[in-house]
Amino acid sequence: MSSYSELIKNFEKIRAYMREFYVYGFKSRDDYQNKSARSYDDERRRLESWLGDHMSFVRTPEGKNVFISIDSRTIRHNPLYNAWKAKSFTDGDITLHFIIFDILYEPSVKKTISEILEQIDDKYLSGFEHPMMFDESTVRKKLKEYCEAGIIISEKEGRKMYYHRAETTDLSDLNDVLHYFSEVAPCGVVGSFILDKEKADTDAFTFKHHYITGAIDSGVLAALFTAMREKRAVTVCNLSRRRDLPQQNRIVPLRVLISVQGGRQHLIAYLPEYNHFQAYRVDYLSNVKLEEPTPRFDELRAQLDLMQSNMWGVSVKRNNRGEAPLEHVEFTVKIEENEEYIIRRLEREKRIGTVEKLDAHTYRFFADVYDSGEMIPWIRTFICRIVKMNFSNRSVENQFKKDLEEMYRLYGIEQEVSE
Amino acid sequence: MIFSELYSAYYNTIAAVISRILEGEHSEKELQKIASERAFGESVLTILPSLKNEKWQLVHPDMTTDLEHKPTMPLTTLQKRWLKAISLDPRVKLFGVEFPELEDVEPLFTAEDYYVYDQYSDGDPFEDEEYIKKFRIILDAIRHNTQIKFEMVNRKGNTIFVRCRPLRLEYSEKDDKFRVVTTGWRTVSTVNLSKIRACAHYTGERPLDGEEAPIRYDTLTLKVTDERNALERVMLHFAHFEKQAERVDRQTYLVKIKYAHDDESELVIRVLSFGPMVEVLGSESFKKLFIEKLKKQLNCGLK
Repeated sequence: MSSYSELIKNFEKIRAYMREFYVYGFKSRDDYQNKSARSYDDERRRLESWLGDHMSFVRTPEGKNVFISIDSRTIRHNPLYNAWKAKSFTDGDITLHFIIFDILYEPSVKKTISEILEQIDDKYLSGFEHPMMFDESTVRKKLKEYCEAGIIISEKEGRKMYYHRAETTDLSDLNDVLHYFSEVAPCGVVGSFILDKEKADTDAFTFKHHYITGAIDSGVLAALFTAMREKRAVTVCNLSRRRDLPQQNRIVPLRVLISVQGGRQHLIAYLPEYNHFQAYRVDYLSNVKLEEPTPRFDELRAQLDLMQSNMWGVSVKRNNRGEAPLEHVEFTVKIEENEEYIIRRLEREKRIGTVEKLDAHTYRFFADVYDSGEMIPWIRTFICRIVKMNFSNRSVENQFKKDLEEMYRLYGIEQEVSE
Repeated sequence: MIFSELYSAYYNTIAAVISRILEGEHSEKELQKIASERAFGESVLTILPSLKNEKWQLVHPDMTTDLEHKPTMPLTTLQKRWLKAISLDPRVKLFGVEFPELEDVEPLFTAEDYYVYDQYSDGDPFEDEEYIKKFRIILDAIRHNTQIKFEMVNRKGNTIFVRCRPLRLEYSEKDDKFRVVTTGWRTVSTVNLSKIRACAHYTGERPLDGEEAPIRYDTLTLKVTDERNALERVMLHFAHFEKQAERVDRQTYLVKIKYAHDDESELVIRVLSFGPMVEVLGSESFKKLFIEKLKKQLNCGLK
């Protein structure tokens, strides 16, 4: 039986737990039925070690519920990044790492593999009671891995291969840039990795409306970005909430759509097999494998550009074999004196829609979209001033009105008015 | 690959420990302190013991080392690609810094590869020279703990002159705006950076008293009926707050959210967006505001 370690080999398992603990947080140990009790205990313990005070628990009749609770406005750095800094390694990995970089201590120092091996044995390990033994293939494999990571450069001179470290990058000016962008840019965890190397810290920035959940999807996101940069298709595993088992799809990733109001990230991709576009939740994706480049990438992305002028959120034109009908959405709001801020709200939040002034107190919003249902949550934020609605999709409009009736009922509002 | 030991807290901690040893520190207690500060909660149980018992053959039991150079590692290709992507972001102009040589590096992503679809369109003018100047003055004052002075128009339309000490810059991704959190100024403590005019360093001698005004928090209690995926949407939407959820029955959940009282109006409309799947149970003041909106809507004559 292997003993517990706070470090992990595979990120996927902990990713699922982090989502459960951070996003939901109401499940007790018994609810994790498809996972073993020991696995639950180990993952919980790891998260406690990585996240410290951000982990909380509450006792309920069902048992102890563990959850992650963070007011992201009060923190400077995303604590969920810590999970990405917990990769396990072997004793040989860490020993070799520091010795190799001590031998190749500056870019001008170039060594062959035999010179490196000799120094490892004679200079660095001989003083230990039971020195580790590294054979040539192990060191060669490590150097190859580091060449791929870009931190070691190999150069052939004559028949010999020489290794040296890559040039150091001067980051002395970038402290504030790194602190800011490691929180607001996609894959910000990479900025956090760079900051870990720097000593200087800052108190200059905090963040409001700051969704930190996406941090745990950084690996998937980075792979998708790489595919897009190289115009490649990918195969990806998708675990949708509508299915019990994950599904493998071959898709062409085209763009990541990020919500700063809902905390969700979607990938818009093209499915060659079905000849249509589809939105995928990034947090449901895993095991992204890069496939061959696709010559249709530019054409497909141009199609997406066109589609986006009718996308309120992430709903796309599904059927690529003909014109997908657009749905017309229209509503009118009435404002009172000194409520110009409502007009400013409409203007700044209208996205692909249009705002039209009807008279001094009445404004009309309209848009043509693929999915009017996506607009409902936003339209509800104008509750208290909506005087008219006109949706071409009548069932969505009727649902909106039915929901409104239900809200009146919930708070007993109709009765009060009728009395 | 993002998940790599090259970026691990352990590698960084070991680098810091070895650096201190090379500076002449051999006290186990002091080196243990580095481990407790730089790594995770339980790392102290592993890091120094693994070095001491020769599991990781980098340091001898007497806390000396055969390594000769303070450990450093060049940037990986992934780190350079991310930096390159950042260097292409228009907001980087705010900082006025020279990026390192990244000419041969492909960006990890570009503006073409992602799109923030629900950000407000009246964000700050990050490329405007006046705005950049203000930003840098404020950032410099935060760094050096000094005062600034500026003008702004208050809610009544009057121009006011302000002297204060900026504490930090708060950025909202939703608003795409910076706010300056200040102290020493009695009227307000947080102001939109874009509303500040004629901002300059204050070079006078007059000191400023005052601490940052404490935030007044309230608790919002919601009953969530898990229909139309409401539970997941609510939990994700409010994920950035300190919150706690509890299951009442198979379809009903109670969610408590701690929020700053100043943000109450904003929160009311955010809760409204969930429709009847979310019922406000408290606080009373929040519920009152919520009900007022619904009553007003009922009188709008929507048919």
